[in-house]
Amino acid sequence: MALRAAVLRHIQVPVQTLTATGSKPLPRWSLGASLRLFSSHDDHLTKEEVIDRVLDVVKSFPKVDPSKVTPDVHFQKDLGLDSLDNVEIVMALEEEFKLEIPDKEADNIDSCNLAIEYIYNHPMAG
Amino acid sequence: MSGATTAAYLARRAAQKERVRILYRRALKDTLNWAVHRHLFYQDASDLREKFEANRHVEDLDTIDKLVAAGEATYDKWRHPDPYIVPWAPGGSKFTRNPVPPSGIEIVYDYGRENND
Repeated sequence: MALRAAVLRHIQVPVQTLTATGSKPLPRWSLGASLRLFSSHDDHLTKEEVIDRVLDVVKSFPKVDPSKVTPDVHFQKDLGLDSLDNVEIVMALEEEFKLEIPDKEADNIDSCNLAIEYIYNHPMAG
Repeated sequence: MSGATTAAYLARRAAQKERVRILYRRALKDTLNWAVHRHLFYQDASDLREKFEANRHVEDLDTIDKLVAAGEATYDKWRHPDPYIVPWAPGGSKFTRNPVPPSGIEIVYDYGRENND
């Protein structure tokens, strides 16, 4: 009987005392922009994606010459557009990335650079 | 014609230009709210643009002020009662739907394990 108990005690898997948080700590991602593991929005756009999509939107604007579009064109100085055209481009970017840009900030977006910066830093850019 | 290009004149012109741009932006969004189908939207957007372009070369500050005020009145009259707002923005359908939980709260994953083991 004692032998049996001794054998059982030997075979028994030792119970781990769990900490207050429950399971083992989850692996932390050391790379990437977001550490919010339980949010439904872990998939921030990469900068290349943002640049590609912004340039596509600007190139498909009918008043723009596609060959002149680079990631740092100024809409009014380099592409010869109007301030109203600027407004139209910003609206097209809002539609492309499903963003809602406040009026004051939308007024400040004057060049591709600023647009890419703003969209990349926006947490809800789709 | 108020004095050649004084700072006050330029400041007033700049303020007017900003008002015009914001008005154009809101009017364009409103047009998109009303004319959802894309071909209709493009036509209406072109018409809106024509209206703005017709008054492009006005120089007199007071006339410009009156035109902008008239434009804003027209915009107010035509505003859509149920505009499309991006879901996560204020006024949208997902706004504050799932707010971030307060910071001291954790979830304990013990799957119903009881303590009398």
